[in-house]
Amino acid sequence: MIYRVRHITHYEYEKPVSLSYNRAYLLPRDTTYQRCVSSSINISPSDTVGQERCDYFGNRAYFFSLERPHSELLIDISSDIRIQESKYGLEGKLNFGQGITCSQALLALQQGRDTALLDAREFVMDSPMVMSSDGLRNYAATSFYPDRPLLAAVRELNQRIHSDFTYDPESTSIATPLAEVLLKRRGVCQDFAQLAIGCLRSLGFPARYVSGYLETFPPPGQKKLVGSDASHAWFSVYIPGEGWFEFDPTNNNMPAEHHITTAWGRDYADVSPLSGVFFDGGKSQKLKVSVDVSRIETDLTQWNNTIQLTGL
Amino acid sequence: MKIPATGRPDELQYAGSATGYDEVYGNQTQARQHWHYLLDALKTLGSEGIRERQLKAERIFRDDGATYNPGASDSPQSWQLDPVPVLLQSEEWALIESGLLERAELFNLILKDIYGKRELIRHGVLPPELVFGHGGFLRACQGLSLPGEHQLVLHSTDMVRDSNGEMIIIGDRTQSPSGAGYALENRTVMSRVLPSLFRDSHVHRLSLFFQSLRMKLNTLASQITSERPRIVVLTPGAYSETYFEHAYLANYLGYPLVQGSDLLVSRGYLYMKSLGGLERVDVVLRRVDDSFCDPVELRGDSRLGVPGLLDVVRSGRVIVVNPLGAGFLENPALLRYLPQVSQHFLGRELRLRTAPTYWCGDPQDLAYVQAHLDSLVIKSVSHKRGHHAIFGLQLNTQQRQELALKIQRDPVNFVAQVYIQPSNTPSWLNPQLVPRPAVLRSFAVASNSSYSVMPGGLTRIGTGNGSMSLSNHMGAISKDTWILASEPEKQVSLLSNARVTAAASVKPHVAFPCRVVENLYWMGRYAERAESALRLLRTVFIQLNSFDYMPEQTRLLLRTVTELTATFPGFTVVDPKLQQQPEAELLSVILDSNRAGSISANLYSLLHCTDQIKEMMSSDTQRVVNDLRDGLSGLRDALKPGLNSAPEEALDPLVTTLLALAGLWQESMVRALGWRFMDMGRRVEKALQSIRLIRSSLVPVLAEQQQFQILEAILLNSESLITFRRRQYDGSGMMQGLDLLIFDRSNPRSVFYQIELLREHLTELPISAHGLGLTDEDRMLLEASTAIQLSSPEKLSAENLTTATRPELEQLLSRIQHLLETTSAQISNKYFDQVKVHNQLVRTDWDGEL
Repeated sequence: MIYRVRHITHYEYEKPVSLSYNRAYLLPRDTTYQRCVSSSINISPSDTVGQERCDYFGNRAYFFSLERPHSELLIDISSDIRIQESKYGLEGKLNFGQGITCSQALLALQQGRDTALLDAREFVMDSPMVMSSDGLRNYAATSFYPDRPLLAAVRELNQRIHSDFTYDPESTSIATPLAEVLLKRRGVCQDFAQLAIGCLRSLGFPARYVSGYLETFPPPGQKKLVGSDASHAWFSVYIPGEGWFEFDPTNNNMPAEHHITTAWGRDYADVSPLSGVFFDGGKSQKLKVSVDVSRIETDLTQWNNTIQLTGL
Repeated sequence: MKIPATGRPDELQYAGSATGYDEVYGNQTQARQHWHYLLDALKTLGSEGIRERQLKAERIFRDDGATYNPGASDSPQSWQLDPVPVLLQSEEWALIESGLLERAELFNLILKDIYGKRELIRHGVLPPELVFGHGGFLRACQGLSLPGEHQLVLHSTDMVRDSNGEMIIIGDRTQSPSGAGYALENRTVMSRVLPSLFRDSHVHRLSLFFQSLRMKLNTLASQITSERPRIVVLTPGAYSETYFEHAYLANYLGYPLVQGSDLLVSRGYLYMKSLGGLERVDVVLRRVDDSFCDPVELRGDSRLGVPGLLDVVRSGRVIVVNPLGAGFLENPALLRYLPQVSQHFLGRELRLRTAPTYWCGDPQDLAYVQAHLDSLVIKSVSHKRGHHAIFGLQLNTQQRQELALKIQRDPVNFVAQVYIQPSNTPSWLNPQLVPRPAVLRSFAVASNSSYSVMPGGLTRIGTGNGSMSLSNHMGAISKDTWILASEPEKQVSLLSNARVTAAASVKPHVAFPCRVVENLYWMGRYAERAESALRLLRTVFIQLNSFDYMPEQTRLLLRTVTELTATFPGFTVVDPKLQQQPEAELLSVILDSNRAGSISANLYSLLHCTDQIKEMMSSDTQRVVNDLRDGLSGLRDALKPGLNSAPEEALDPLVTTLLALAGLWQESMVRALGWRFMDMGRRVEKALQSIRLIRSSLVPVLAEQQQFQILEAILLNSESLITFRRRQYDGSGMMQGLDLLIFDRSNPRSVFYQIELLREHLTELPISAHGLGLTDEDRMLLEASTAIQLSSPEKLSAENLTTATRPELEQLLSRIQHLLETTSAQISNKYFDQVKVHNQLVRTDWDGEL
């Protein structure tokens, strides 16, 4: 299946911005399950200098600067992404009753010498936005006991976050600390992903942050609105000997054919969709984001229309 | 030495240390051979002699503006040098040097690996947490690479000699090692205060090190440009700890000193904003810490860096030295694994030993550290401000328990090192030589195939207050370090060199950022503004105390004080009490530095400008600036009410100092762009001050006698009174007075004179900056000049009897004032970069943790 993702970001500044330097994580990377077939970047004002770079995590970072005064900035990115068939219905193909147990996993992480294990240990450490804590450990601990398969434990954690926490876009901003999210039991996809990461790290397991998109569906009988999709976030856990497994606590599932990955890192700060600095521009700015995820080619013979994924 | 001994000889008998190793005696009772000459010479000099040399050294540091700012809030301290050097024999130094070379090579390999393949982790040499958990490991720097063999260009170490006499390294500095400039300044001063001792000791020279540095930077630049290399020194600013050194090095090496806001990334290249446009920059020798260098990819809240710099580095269009990310090598936990790392890369252990180090991220190390806290030095893995090494020995039981708890909670972030009791070295504590613990900082710079090590380095000694930490931050005193050659060396200096290699002789671009030009312009303005206010106040004080005190003209003069300094409302309010007791208000106009327009405020602004352009000032200028600073801080005492019957005399020294400054600018500044803008600032201000003065004091018509007195006072104030009296005048003399003050093109204080000079300056600016033909600023000055020429003293002195004013005078001067103010605004808009503060697209509160 091939998706086309169109992501439009529009900034309107109170006064003209004279100069700005930006870094965007808006170009989908390749993963085991997906390939970005093509991307097009349109930035207005068009007189920009841009450069794509492969970053530390293998993501596609796009650096661009605007050197003439402008009151509006429009970043229009369109990418075509092919999702491999092997990803379809991934969760159903897994056996959660088997696999490495929590205690075995911790031991492997401590003693293992293979490269993947050593590299994964980076994701046990605190990162700018996700710090281990007793609170997170206590919340998570009930799902993790020594002889339980780690993957099953993580799935339970994912389910618990989904049921214990309320999706509430008003409750948090990107700077809301995890402790507050844990206390208020409210947040958005990014908070839930980071919460899960914090839980896993507090117990000593490697977890990373994944940003991307999710195909959504209108309520039955209604037409899908253009621009109604949004960017999404979830997490990935490293199971020693088995690899990285993704979970989406917002939707209580494991990302499969409807999830498109853009980038991953230790937390949001590593892969925030757009960051940078600008000069002048006044005190306030208006931001509008519109995202569309559409299929441009479907190779699934049977499409399960009953799936309904809401909330990000 | 022909100086007669004045001190008692036993005072200068260096007794050595009671415990531990002594640089003079080692572990023996006999002084080692290489110290004999120095100790004898010091005895001959006597304590008086040494004291005298020390004072002379202090004076030179002051004149050079050599300071060290321990904290943002503190005022800069003068750099401190102990006049007794540390001596090392060249045979011993040769061993140390080869050890340092080897260590620099190893650190270079580590740097390459950490931002490359990370084999050290994959082969199990370094635990992943040690790298991934360190704040100095910057993921954005992955894959950055300098041309040539060496990634690490500068490497510094701190070392002490242990009780067996062996040099032990206790830490490394790899971001922007400081101290090399101070070492050079120490050497310069030592060779001036103890010239013959220095000459006869055959000390290895330092200049080769700096030549190697220049050569390395030129070589790097030549990789990205075929033109003349453009190299800049990046400083965090005039208020950073070691700003003196930044300015000093920039000058010595001949590179412009820039701040982050002087640089700009445009269309993928790095530029310096200089007068007349952007100048490309090839190499940045940085003194800004890694994470502060680029708010786009590193700390978003940094105001010290250049937005977009890192991506220009990535594309290979500019080279930053040391490379960004090198701060990781300062991770002291690395020292724990150095033997293994050395085995991995070099197949052997390092020759120079490192103090045994434990990393609490390792469970066994953690257990050992917790059990031996009292004998260890505890450090945080990252050098953060306010995080000093903790000496377990100095803690009481409770403090130790607290520390143990802190470590237990966050073991990965703690390192413990065995405390090495440093050797003692003879140090001057008036009037005797006492033993003081010493730590030596070494400096290495990458050269073509290897590294060059500075012979010697910067020694710091403890103050003897029992503090175990020997950093300048903690108030340590520095020493020159002499490596004694058996043969005298040939003199090589960058300042006067005859033989330099091809790469080193390439002349760098000489340009400076427009921030510097702006500061020069304002320096000129503030100096004039302060001077004219000082002059007027002097006149007022004389008037107030004079025998023929006249209330009417005093009232006018007081009002003029307020108008000239723009310290409204002041004397413009009709308040009889204020008129009778004007002293308090006058003192406030002089002393209140929080009051805009006061003399103190202007002088502080002037000093602020001189701080910003330190690297442009000669030591003569620095000396005058120092006098100004002293005069300013002594002003309050000098003006204490009642102490001084003639307060005007207290202002004299400041006027003289400002005149000396003006004289230096006139006599010894090269007539380059910098001078031109400084002088433009002076001319604009001089003209504006004259105009304010005349408008306030001579526009109102007074009774004849009083009018004459006022006119004379104003002429005296403008140093034109003698000329005035020599010339023939009739009636009130007003016409002749105005002629001198406004029209006379031969009077360097007339308004017309200033305007003509300003016009001349503008025509001399390069077209690239000024543009072709007449510009707005030219037109405004042309109008001002013409207006004066079309007018005449007769016209201006015409009186309107109903209003009791001189309306023509008022009209002309207000127009010229407006033109000058607009011209000044135009100059600053056009020629100076309006430094702006950037905003973050997305506010990131977590930056502090990056």
